[in-house]
Amino acid sequence: MNPVPAKAAPATRDGSIGLIDFAVIVAQLLLVLLLLRQYQVENSAGFLLVAQIAFAGFAIHAWLPLSYRLPFFAVLSLAATAILLGPVNFAWMFGIGAFLIGICHLPVSFRIRGTLLVLVAGVLAAQRAGALPQPWSDAIWPILGSMFMFRLIVYFYDLRHDNAPATPARTFAYFFMLPNASFPLFPVVDYKTFRRNYYDEDTVRIYQTGVDWMLRGIIHLILYRIVYYHLTLTPAEVTTPALFLQHLASNFLLYLKVSGLFHLIVGMLYMFGFHLPETQNRYFLAAGITDYWRRINIYWKDFMQKVFYYPALFRLKKLGANTAIILATLWVFFVTWFLHAYQWFWIRGTFLLILQDILFWAILGVMLVANSLWEIKHGRKRSLGTAKFSWRSVGVMTLKAYGTFWMFCVLWSFWNADSLKEWFVLWHALGGEYTLSVLVWPVVSMIVIFVGYIPATKLETAKDPRKDGYGWIRDRALTAGVMVVLISISVESVSTRFGPEFSTAMHTLRSGTLSRIDTAKMERGYYENLTDVSRFNSQLWEVYAKKPRDWMDVENAGLKRFVTGFAQNELIPSFVSSTKYGTVTINRWGMRDQDYAEKPAPDTYRVALLGSSSLMGWGVTDGATFEALLENRLNRELAGKPFAKYELLNYGVPGYQPPQQLPNLDRAMALHPTAVMYFATGREQSRSTFYLAEVVQKGIDIPYGPLRDIVAKAGVAKGMTEAEARQRLASYGNEILTYVYAQIGERARKGGMRAIWVFLPPDIQGAWQQEAADAERIAENAGFVVLNLEDVFKGMDGSKLILAEWDHHPNARGHEVIADRLFEGMLANSNRIFSVPSPQAAVVDPSVKPLETKQ
Amino acid sequence: MNESIKQSVKEYILNTFLPGEDPKELTDDLPLISGGILDSIATLKLIMFIEETFGVTLEAHEADKEHLNTINQIADLISARKS
Repeated sequence: MNPVPAKAAPATRDGSIGLIDFAVIVAQLLLVLLLLRQYQVENSAGFLLVAQIAFAGFAIHAWLPLSYRLPFFAVLSLAATAILLGPVNFAWMFGIGAFLIGICHLPVSFRIRGTLLVLVAGVLAAQRAGALPQPWSDAIWPILGSMFMFRLIVYFYDLRHDNAPATPARTFAYFFMLPNASFPLFPVVDYKTFRRNYYDEDTVRIYQTGVDWMLRGIIHLILYRIVYYHLTLTPAEVTTPALFLQHLASNFLLYLKVSGLFHLIVGMLYMFGFHLPETQNRYFLAAGITDYWRRINIYWKDFMQKVFYYPALFRLKKLGANTAIILATLWVFFVTWFLHAYQWFWIRGTFLLILQDILFWAILGVMLVANSLWEIKHGRKRSLGTAKFSWRSVGVMTLKAYGTFWMFCVLWSFWNADSLKEWFVLWHALGGEYTLSVLVWPVVSMIVIFVGYIPATKLETAKDPRKDGYGWIRDRALTAGVMVVLISISVESVSTRFGPEFSTAMHTLRSGTLSRIDTAKMERGYYENLTDVSRFNSQLWEVYAKKPRDWMDVENAGLKRFVTGFAQNELIPSFVSSTKYGTVTINRWGMRDQDYAEKPAPDTYRVALLGSSSLMGWGVTDGATFEALLENRLNRELAGKPFAKYELLNYGVPGYQPPQQLPNLDRAMALHPTAVMYFATGREQSRSTFYLAEVVQKGIDIPYGPLRDIVAKAGVAKGMTEAEARQRLASYGNEILTYVYAQIGERARKGGMRAIWVFLPPDIQGAWQQEAADAERIAENAGFVVLNLEDVFKGMDGSKLILAEWDHHPNARGHEVIADRLFEGMLANSNRIFSVPSPQAAVVDPSVKPLETKQ
Repeated sequence: MNESIKQSVKEYILNTFLPGEDPKELTDDLPLISGGILDSIATLKLIMFIEETFGVTLEAHEADKEHLNTINQIADLISARKS
């Protein structure tokens, strides 16, 4: 049922506001600012800065004569964009934007203008794809695309049909609207609504609605973080029915990010008098497919309806209503799919062509057609006035919404699956063990939907303050109260009072970092094409949207070559590559290092360093790696104490996983090292299992009997999906790593070498800690001297120690910090590290056994 | 003429989309699109009714809140098109 709201008679449509009302709004905006700061909402996108500019602008804007406000908003929007993107990027963006707008207003026919727009868009698309050169930075594309890719369509459509003259202030305000500089994903604001609804309601009510929606947006984003950090699972982790349901629901709930951002964006626009429609309307309560389409992204639905659905419907209506509706609906879903791919293109630079994506929109379109036909035949219950409350109606609606919610959870998981095969394998989890926990998600979702359908729980849009009286004061107190509570619990000294678990949970909610799953994807993405970040479902796409197209990668830099055997690849010997960070030189032995003689000179302490990209020095020039810095320092400060010379041989290879260090050690042994230094990083066990899954999938022979036995025990075979292979190997992580470390330790002892294990965190913060303690114990058991550098970056500004937001490898400064800590660590353990054991004395420790396997 | 148009449209909306509802509640200013009475399917049906009954042709861009949100707006649109 759709109750019809009574149309309130607005009190002040002239934009005026009293001093007390203004003070109340400003006080709330200050609380919103505090919330944004405390929870670091879209901090990396510069949203806090944009919010500060916007709220300061509001304080001026609210007192300007009405006719000055739109030009002021346009200038403020342009200024915010310039501040955020920098003057050069902004100049290019403004120039391109003004050119496109100029074409829309050329004194030629609509058809010619349309043709010109398509031609210019074609040139820009070729530049976006890298097919044509461009004089501007890649950094402007996501935001330029976001501002013009849809709004230009709407604007051009309305120019043809809308009689109201366009003004420069309104046009620039529309395209460059204030918060857009922070957000590539932006609601498709309708131009006509933007124009018509400007201060068309009571002023205070508009402003207050803006504050309420921004708060709602922040709450959505906090809930999103709970889901994103704590509830999402990789397909390999979905092993039981309970986890399967969690996977389905958490995937769908990730949409909270979009609804949160859209509420924040539109709420901010309200502060400047734009009385826009709701962006989402309690979409988790949708009671049916049509209802879902009307609630989930209202701006998109309106855009589709206006520009594609009605024009198609009017052309087709002579075929009869039913046929017209079927064809127009299917057309809309085809366009929706295409425009999502088009949107992806402007933001990411590649066209999104994925089977699941096509099937998802096709299925949704067919379902909506079926639902529409049912509605045509049976009608839809509508009512005038407020719907009467009854528990029966709440129960019926709850059941409908419950079914819709789970149906969309299933569809959403399908949409987000890496492959169809992987999605079907997910369902095998239903054959797992059934425990009471399987009821958690079904029961919680039922309760939430039921409560959502009780009218008293519905959050109403701010009413007219002059009519609402006490209710107005109560609602404002509630809004402020919620903000004060959220701010309070975000303060560490307050959250710690509720116990360490609560405090830790709050800490994660306050950060805008990537989840453990996205961090793993990003690490994987350093060396592979990013095929698994192909939807707007992952926070990672926002990071990658900023990544320049020419950001170095191993394939492009040509540093590695494929080899047969278990290692699969290695650095190309005697190769020099020039990267944007300087020269990368590979010596004749295949190390990223200076040249060394095959045999060390007498009294030389030669260490073979085994590791991956951080050790190799990804993103820093020759001589700036921590290995090179440490070697220099050892020779500078410890020459003769006890060795005459120190040589550190860098066997780091980007992308190497722990099992690949076994063949890497074979190579290292050829140069007669005195010691082996193994650099462990995050999730050693998981990465070991992933590697075994990969080689089995590729049919690569595993030359290590115990590892073959583990693969056989786990039942992993070629042809399985990656998720299933990883799932089966998941509980063998410790066992695999135990074998790898024991092999390295044993070979070191047999060769009379010292074995040193260094833990180097892969990131300033993240989920790498989970497996680190076990990895350290395994290393100790294998006889390594342990140097744990997990706190190497503690207390430092992490953003200044990494290459970029999309590449968390240490930069040159990060390498200096690591080199210094490693030097200190070696000095502190010098009696163990620099004392070389006799090979004759070497005894293989029979007690080296795998740690208990975690199930 | 406007009153008879309003009456005719009102009757159609009541009979087709709001059976059993109190006619007095369907005022000439009641928002039909933003109030959820007219969704896209209902809008198409209403447009087909208007075109057949009043012999006018409507354009796709007129199927919006600016033209069809209230009975008053609908009547104005039909009158303007007929004149």
